[in-house]
Amino acid sequence: MSFTLQPIRVATGFDEEGMLVLDEEQRLLAVLTHISDENEVAPGQWYLEAGFGRLDGINQPTFADLDAAQAWIGQRLASGQ
Amino acid sequence: MHASFHPQASFDPDYNPMIRKLESIFTLTDDERRALETLPMQLAVLRDHQDIVREGDRPSRSCLILGGFTATYKITAGGKRQIVAFGIPGDIPDLQSLHLKVLDVSIGTLTQCRLGFITHDDLRDLCTRFPRIAAAFWRETLIEGAIFREWVINIGRREAYSRMAHVLCEFLVRLRAVGLVEGHACDLPITQVEFADALGITPVHINRVFQQMRADGLIELKGERLNIPDWDRLKHVGEFDSTYLHLEIDQAVA
Repeated sequence: MSFTLQPIRVATGFDEEGMLVLDEEQRLLAVLTHISDENEVAPGQWYLEAGFGRLDGINQPTFADLDAAQAWIGQRLASGQ
Repeated sequence: MHASFHPQASFDPDYNPMIRKLESIFTLTDDERRALETLPMQLAVLRDHQDIVREGDRPSRSCLILGGFTATYKITAGGKRQIVAFGIPGDIPDLQSLHLKVLDVSIGTLTQCRLGFITHDDLRDLCTRFPRIAAAFWRETLIEGAIFREWVINIGRREAYSRMAHVLCEFLVRLRAVGLVEGHACDLPITQVEFADALGITPVHINRVFQQMRADGLIELKGERLNIPDWDRLKHVGEFDSTYLHLEIDQAVA
């Protein structure tokens, strides 16, 4: 399954940009947030703010960069976990 | 090697958090107090983030926390940790092993800890000779169960912001019962990742909650020191009612 990214601002209460992750039929798969530098736990990392279907789960991971996030999403969608 | 309480020079003999805790339930007789003061205990200091006991162990002794904080936890097959309880001075977090042979949890230090290991034989002897102390230990494990029930509703049903407020209220009230709170300030040597593991929230979100609580004036954090400027407001946000801790009335931080 292929997917595309679409920039979006996310109202997390902090100054954070994000990405909508959409499948080829424009269905929303996930929202990724670029974590603010104020967040000392994962400054500057990408965070799976919300995932749907195969990307749903309580252990929302963080990623060093957008490439890592996309690789993880690709794996999850392919494996069907 | 066994050492009783008094000869330990590095430890204030007047402060035995277990005695303090028992005295919050009932007045100890001289005999009971003496038995507790002379209870053989192997003293040990463990660094932070060390396991004291592990799931599957078959301990022949239990550990009293004299100083420092512990976490009781379990780990999923995928390696995710859930902290199910925080241990504070005065607690015997593996008291269950006196009656249950195989440990079903692991317990590790969060900070450097001073621990007193008491053999099950000595604990049994103490309980046989002093039924009121046995009843107090039983009561302790019942309260531990009450705390677990409160954690289930907290983690299962409260939003992250209230959840954090609730656990902070609980922490403060429990510490107050063993004399480790000044005003509404206490040590809080628990990392955000550890709170995440205890509350079932991601560390990223824990950080957001902390920042929001600071901005809202609910908490003040200086290093590892927590101050609560408006206790009533924090209790309200955390929907905190200390009844389940079954403390004496004068300790229940009005």
